[in-house]
Amino acid sequence: MTPTISVQQLSKTYEVPEREGGFGAAVRSFFKRKYKDVKAVQEVNFNIEQGEVVGFLGPNGAGKTTTLKMLSGLLHPTSGNANVLGFTPWELKNDYLRSMTLVMGQRNRLSWDIPAADSFLLNQAIYRIPDDEYKETYKELDELLELEPLMKKPVRNLSLGERMKCEIAVGLLHRPKVLFLDEPTIGLDITGQARIREFLQEYNKRTGATIILTSHYMADVTALCERIIIIHHGQLKYDGGINDLSKKIAPFKLIGVLMENADAHDLSKYGEPVENMEDADKKFIQVKADEVTRITSRLLADLPIRDITIADPPIEDVIEQAFNQ
Amino acid sequence: MHTLKLLSAFLKMNIQMSLAYRADTIVNILLNLMWLGWELLSLNIIFSNTQTLGGWGIGELIALLGVFRLVNTLMIALIWPNTEKFNQSIRDGSMDYTILQPANSMFLVTFSRITVWRFWDLILAIILIVIGINMSGDLITAPQILTFILLALSGIIVIYSLWIVLIALTFWFTKFDNNVTILQALLDAGRYPATVYPVWLRVIVTFIIPIAVATTIPLQALRGELDFNQVLIFFFIGVASFIIASRVWKSGLKRYSGASS
Repeated sequence: MTPTISVQQLSKTYEVPEREGGFGAAVRSFFKRKYKDVKAVQEVNFNIEQGEVVGFLGPNGAGKTTTLKMLSGLLHPTSGNANVLGFTPWELKNDYLRSMTLVMGQRNRLSWDIPAADSFLLNQAIYRIPDDEYKETYKELDELLELEPLMKKPVRNLSLGERMKCEIAVGLLHRPKVLFLDEPTIGLDITGQARIREFLQEYNKRTGATIILTSHYMADVTALCERIIIIHHGQLKYDGGINDLSKKIAPFKLIGVLMENADAHDLSKYGEPVENMEDADKKFIQVKADEVTRITSRLLADLPIRDITIADPPIEDVIEQAFNQ
Repeated sequence: MHTLKLLSAFLKMNIQMSLAYRADTIVNILLNLMWLGWELLSLNIIFSNTQTLGGWGIGELIALLGVFRLVNTLMIALIWPNTEKFNQSIRDGSMDYTILQPANSMFLVTFSRITVWRFWDLILAIILIVIGINMSGDLITAPQILTFILLALSGIIVIYSLWIVLIALTFWFTKFDNNVTILQALLDAGRYPATVYPVWLRVIVTFIIPIAVATTIPLQALRGELDFNQVLIFFFIGVASFIIASRVWKSGLKRYSGASS
């Protein structure tokens, strides 16, 4: 089976006007602009199968949004290829546009001054959704997101979380097969984030839609995505299961020990001591994965241990380590 | 068929939007009537000093005013609000969503805002044209009315195309908020018949900046002053300018997708 999304050697270089500060430089740049090439995405490759939920991770300016924009068709790449559902996205074929959606957490699709219901109907007309299909989809979305109470108020009177629910719903009216979500939970409180997350999970399960999402909130990614792609400085740093990430990027384990008279013993000769806020009673050390057995038995032999745990380091730390490499 | 459906969806949405601002609507209708009074008064002043203006009598000028207001309605009901929306969507990035919708983006940009109540101006404009023609005493035949409608449409398309080109320039020069002020300034020159201007200026007004195409020319057709070839040429200008505008729009979009981040 051909993958739903396949990306080969995708690159994007921006020309960014550049000038030094100060009045003189401003006048000079009016007549002669200097440009600097910024390599936003560099030779990225990956395949995504139908029904996968993939998280794009990376710090600000890493190239996540640029990649999403190329995949949705908004940007032409400088070089390389992409294929989504059999289409080349930037050809902007109507059949392609009708089978995908791009939701950007920081931009509005809904008209500010009118109730969301009216914008929904407008989108029904634009996407040529037959009435019965529209009603059915709307019913489903309403069930999952509880839209009905929000639909009659002008959009400007909705809270951020309510608006985001409507923004996502309006992007899904045409039942897209592929969802590109750029920071769909940005600015939402914890419950709001959780609501959107649960919805996406359920939506993916029900429809088998393929989802790519970028997020600043690690919890979004750990809860939703089995697979993550890490992009840093425009380059693909990691592509694989979220559980394998620690093995590849940081092949470390955390050993936590609970001892009598803990402060009397120095653990630093066994491994690198680390703080762990979640379990303050225990002392933790970080050791290489292939040395876990050896060190554990040494610990058990040497020290008055009452309890011992071996765990993967928290995903946040691993990813941060990946960025710093 | 689908285009009509989409248009009616836009229309419905805009009617709802304008109903939300009642006072605004009423004040604007009153203001508009005042303007009409002022325009008629100034014509009256001109004709208290002279019998004809560039070979046109007062009745014909009232008809011209009607045609001018026909075109002006297009400006105010569609072009102004949509320009505002367009410039804003470039700034806040919602243009991205417009591009990703499975419909002609030029169509979406043209009709997403409609100042609905302005359409009563159309009726007013038609009344002015009928009264003006009556006063002038010209005899009008059915083919003349048809060519008038044809050339008025073609003239409107010329102005529309000019607008598309102007806003498409925004894709190249991100900040270009004056785009439509230029167009309005040009259109205002079409308030008087092109024949009052000296020949060189008339050439510019008619051909280089094809504004008179939308006002004077259709009215000349109505008075039966144009031969068949001329009608054909002016109709062709409308078609050609639309094709050029679509091309410019397309390459503008390409430019946008190459440069934005």
